[in-house]
Amino acid sequence: MKLSKQQIEHLYQFTRQHFVEYYDLQTELVDHLANAIEAKWNESPNLSFEDALQMEFKKFGVFGFMDVVEKRQKALSKRYNKIVWHHFKTFFSVPKILLTVSLVFGLFFFIKTFNPNEVIIILFGLILIIILLELFQKNKAIKKRKQKTGKVWLFEQIIFGYGSFSGILMLPFHILNSISNSSIQQNDYILFGISLLSISMILTTYIIVKIIPSKAEDYLKETYPEYSLVN
Amino acid sequence: MKNSQLYKGSLNTIIMKLLEENGRMYGYEITQKAKEITKGELNITEGALYPALHKLEAEDLLDVEVERVDNRLRKYYKLTEKGTKETVNRLSELEEFIKNMQTIVNPKLSY
Repeated sequence: MKLSKQQIEHLYQFTRQHFVEYYDLQTELVDHLANAIEAKWNESPNLSFEDALQMEFKKFGVFGFMDVVEKRQKALSKRYNKIVWHHFKTFFSVPKILLTVSLVFGLFFFIKTFNPNEVIIILFGLILIIILLELFQKNKAIKKRKQKTGKVWLFEQIIFGYGSFSGILMLPFHILNSISNSSIQQNDYILFGISLLSISMILTTYIIVKIIPSKAEDYLKETYPEYSLVN
Repeated sequence: MKNSQLYKGSLNTIIMKLLEENGRMYGYEITQKAKEITKGELNITEGALYPALHKLEAEDLLDVEVERVDNRLRKYYKLTEKGTKETVNRLSELEEFIKNMQTIVNPKLSY
């Protein structure tokens, strides 16, 4: 006996009730449960759908689907980090490296000439504002889409939540702020290091806030073969 | 599973070996196949299988395909080119491990 459309829909609901928010994981778990229930029915045809479901769900252990969700998140974050790294490397290879080098030297001479702390505060303040604006806009778009399709994709959320980077983005701001003016301006090596670090952070920000979200659709299609099937 | 701790470290290799032999498979199929081959001795739990599959996928060792089957979507896993090469490595590693364990457990049999 096969599961009906309603029963499949019920399984989707069941996964949602058990804290599986993401459609991609829901789909995989629904198929698993459905297979298991159908196999149960082959052994004992009189078993009710609900009983069979409970028996199968128990096999996932006391934490239910939570462990699966958590590990999936980890796996996809890894994939995301790889994508970021891939884009980052392009800024250090021909031809983009020319841009990177000029940016680093530009910042270097800028900090050397002007008061570094003020420059840095203005620079990172600007970046922060841009990120917040983008974040606000994108989240609105995701919410809108969820309302329309009823689906949330885990990788989509990682892309628009900027992976685990959002906290790190402000790190150089804190580091630079804690270094006193005089020692920075006296040592060209430190100054250069700071310029390189700052530009690297700005490029990373640009990658995760601009480049990757603009290609989100492609990355989602690559990650989820079912993406174009259901959207 | 009789002693899950012992199997745990080899779960990824077991999955890769099954995929090597059977081409593409979906999650539930993998658990059933493992049970079938070992006559019920090896029971891959759901809570361990999917994280392992997702990890292998993230490492580009597995690729996924999705198809509509009955009223639902089914996700199939298969080895990538990199995955096929890696399977050979991991299997020889596992064989080495089995050999060493045998020497430890049953010293008389070794030379």
